[in-house]
Amino acid sequence: MPYVIESRGVRKSFGETEALRDATLAVSPGECVGLLGPNGAGKSTFIGILYGAVRRSGGDLSVFGMDPATQSRDIKRRLGVVPQENALDEGLTVEENMLLFARFLGLPVAKRAARVTELLKYMSLEHKAGAPIHALSGGMKRRLAFVRALLGDPEMLILDEPTTGLDPAVRHVLWEKVGDLRRQGKTILVSTHYMHEAEALCDRVIILNHGNITALGSPKELIREHTPGFVAIFSAAPEVCAKLSKQSGLVVDNRGDVALVRAPALDDLVRLQRELGIEAQQLRPANLEDVFLKITGEGLDQDA
Amino acid sequence: MRETLQLSWHVVVRNWRVYAKDFLANISPTAVDPALLLLALGMGLSPYMKEVEGHPYTAFLAPGLACTTAMFTAFFEASYGFYVKMTFEAIFKAMLTTPIGVDEILLGELWWVGIKGAMMATGVSLVLACFGLFTYLPWILAMPFIGAAVGLACGSIGLIASTMVKNIDQFQLAYAFVVSPLYFFSGVFFPVSAAPVWFRVMVNISPLYQGARLSQMAFWNDFHAGEAIVRTLVLLMYAGVLSLMAAKRVRKRIIL
Repeated sequence: MPYVIESRGVRKSFGETEALRDATLAVSPGECVGLLGPNGAGKSTFIGILYGAVRRSGGDLSVFGMDPATQSRDIKRRLGVVPQENALDEGLTVEENMLLFARFLGLPVAKRAARVTELLKYMSLEHKAGAPIHALSGGMKRRLAFVRALLGDPEMLILDEPTTGLDPAVRHVLWEKVGDLRRQGKTILVSTHYMHEAEALCDRVIILNHGNITALGSPKELIREHTPGFVAIFSAAPEVCAKLSKQSGLVVDNRGDVALVRAPALDDLVRLQRELGIEAQQLRPANLEDVFLKITGEGLDQDA
Repeated sequence: MRETLQLSWHVVVRNWRVYAKDFLANISPTAVDPALLLLALGMGLSPYMKEVEGHPYTAFLAPGLACTTAMFTAFFEASYGFYVKMTFEAIFKAMLTTPIGVDEILLGELWWVGIKGAMMATGVSLVLACFGLFTYLPWILAMPFIGAAVGLACGSIGLIASTMVKNIDQFQLAYAFVVSPLYFFSGVFFPVSAAPVWFRVMVNISPLYQGARLSQMAFWNDFHAGEAIVRTLVLLMYAGVLSLMAAKRVRKRIIL
């Protein structure tokens, strides 16, 4: 089966700044791939390049076997994009926004209204059909931007931080829909800051840092490779770190307010608590966030 | 090519939908301004004036106002309007996720300023015709074309400004130093025939003056084939060259 996305050495510079370097990866049909990275890592740049909204500076790229630099129109007919900004027409109503997009996508006139109604229902927005965009909550706007991308029944969905800045309930709804689409066999590329969501949903994740792909693999593989074992989180960081300097076999990450201690087995951490006489805030298996923090060496900005 | 035209038309439809939402508010200044000007200048000054180039002052003023309205509407649409769509509203970002590409956005926006120029010039002419200021009515059919060409030229100036400003306030520079001088010195408010040679030369190269003269010929039923052809060609050249310049610059701003 040919790849949906095949990228070899794709790069982009804005003047002196290199936003993306040597992006090499391939995405198979039906795969759900997460794009992780701190702000400014090059996620949006890469996404923009995929559908021709950003011109790449070099490298080979094919999407559905076509080059986005010259055939973006044909690529975009098979693609749904949820951009980072909702980019909704504030002056128009929910329904008008959708109908306009249906027109942009070339849906037959006779089918537009039905398709719009169907999708608004799918996202529980049908009661807001006549409401102007500025009357919607942030979560509703995001949901609308999300279903708008489904209008053309695309083979692939690209979601640029679909859940950033939303409350947990809305985030849950959106991830549920992503799961839904994944089960329908759609190829999905999603950038996010929410590691546990990416871990739960994505077949593979790509970690981008300073424009470089620093890790690529299934969440399980990456955890096994970079941060195997279990993690204890202690709130009394200085105290814990001072006592721990003598211990061996443990990986300690002092993050100022908290200290993260990783050990091969849960028992090691339970024993450690006893030895230190300090109870950990949390004991848990290592997850993608640990991988991310290790690789990028940075904290996560939740909403920035 | 057919697809490009079709997709660029979607951009026009989008603009129309938004415009039509607040049609009365949107059309008010463009319709009211020329009426007020005609009232204030025309009726206010007429008693103090003899005829201007063989016309009562209101009749002299009328054709120019049809053109200046086209200029303002196109300039504002392509400057503030376009800039807001490009930056704050991210309208083009959304469009770019659909089969619409940067060429279609550009073409659509140019269509739109041309159409608005045509609409405004024609609308104002119709209103003025009601006051008997349009001598020979069939000539009104020329107004959409004059308005579209003026709109395209002045809209392109707005688009070029949109790619140069660092923030929305800087449009005032383009307004103060380009649009205002065009407005006041394009033979709309006073005849240039009595002015010094250097001034006449300046006026003659103004894109708005070409439109104003064509409009005067239409309003006054005073057709001069030679001049009409030259003015039309110069105006079309402005529209063409300026929109190409605008296209080149806008393309770089929209596709990074």
